[in-house]
Amino acid sequence: MMDCAQYRRSMLADPHDPDPRLREHCESCHDCNLFSERLLRFESRLERALRVGPASEAAASSDNVVPLRARSPLRSPAYRKRMLAMAASVLMALVVGGGLWLSAPGASLAADVVTHMREEPQAWRRTDVPVPNPKLDNVLRDSHLRLAAGGGAGMVSYASSCGFRGHQVPHLVLQTDAGPVTVMVLVHERSPKPVQFDEQGYRGVIVPVPGHGSLAVLTRGSAADMEAIEQIAHRVLDSIVWTG
Amino acid sequence: MKDQIGGNQKRARFQALCQSLRPDLLRFAFWLSRDRALAEDVVQETMLRAWKAQDSLQDEAAAKPWFLTIIRREYARCFERKRFVTVDVDELVAREEPMLAAAEEQNLAEMRAALFKLPDEYREPLVLQVLMGFSTAEIARELDLSCGAVLTRLFRARKQLRVLCGEDTSMDPQE
Repeated sequence: MMDCAQYRRSMLADPHDPDPRLREHCESCHDCNLFSERLLRFESRLERALRVGPASEAAASSDNVVPLRARSPLRSPAYRKRMLAMAASVLMALVVGGGLWLSAPGASLAADVVTHMREEPQAWRRTDVPVPNPKLDNVLRDSHLRLAAGGGAGMVSYASSCGFRGHQVPHLVLQTDAGPVTVMVLVHERSPKPVQFDEQGYRGVIVPVPGHGSLAVLTRGSAADMEAIEQIAHRVLDSIVWTG
Repeated sequence: MKDQIGGNQKRARFQALCQSLRPDLLRFAFWLSRDRALAEDVVQETMLRAWKAQDSLQDEAAAKPWFLTIIRREYARCFERKRFVTVDVDELVAREEPMLAAAEEQNLAEMRAALFKLPDEYREPLVLQVLMGFSTAEIARELDLSCGAVLTRLFRARKQLRVLCGEDTSMDPQE
């Protein structure tokens, strides 16, 4: 039987450890439950703090070539030469590659989706308890959709109507073989073509939904590959019944 | 002609891979070095080395740890090339202040300053876990440590960070 000190040591080492013994202890101990709540809030702040400027700058940029900045005292001429070679190499590849990814939309949309996920760590729990149907229906109704009964989307363990870019959107968590998978139905966000992203420990896709914006599907960690995530996205799309 | 098309597709695919990973690679390099310019240099050099060695990446799913390994080596090479002077953490924080506080609340800036003060041996596994989403086993592999050692470092990292951030640690366990 796990004691409080063991529980808290484990949580401080990995607040998202899925070990069922941790969950059992947390559910049976008021103080540890309180400790966990505080720790998860701290963890959420830590996650956001680690997401520093250079990357958001890069994510917002449509140019993958790192801008060469004012000379740092740490850079030698040889080093700068290599930097220029790299920039030239990447630029050449962009031209040769037809700039396929230059026009890739949704980089910032993906970043916003990831940021939103990070703010709701409680949604990622692995569980076999489905969200009650009335609650799920309420969440989906405002976006004029429902999930087909017996559809292949999988068991929905979490459903919430979340503010995202000025709109309320359904945020669902499905329990799959690859672990919890988050789905956001972004009826107000158009994406001309599928976008894959792998950022901050989250991997996912944003797929266009003709006439209904787009759908974001993402997993945490590296348990699922892009192909599996895309398959899940298509299963969810197949299960959606648009009502408006 | 066929080979050229195949080569172009391969390059485009590799570029797309670099693009999807680059934000996190920059963040990782930044937290490793605590220096924005150096982080950009390291990632540039990493991309160059990765570009040259792209044939050795057999599985795209393993791309992230592959890139991170190159970044860590490249960062270590920086130390070999240049003897760094010891700097005061407060100076480092002040130097990177615009980025640390950029458009964020004050408490995030405080957290970032605290992260700067965390010893490298604690900050690195913490960044790999929280930012990169690595499991304990993956961190252990990357840092060539046992899983137990990784968990100990993560535990100490959060404990120290909470103290540095002025959190209520009355419920925190002793080591």
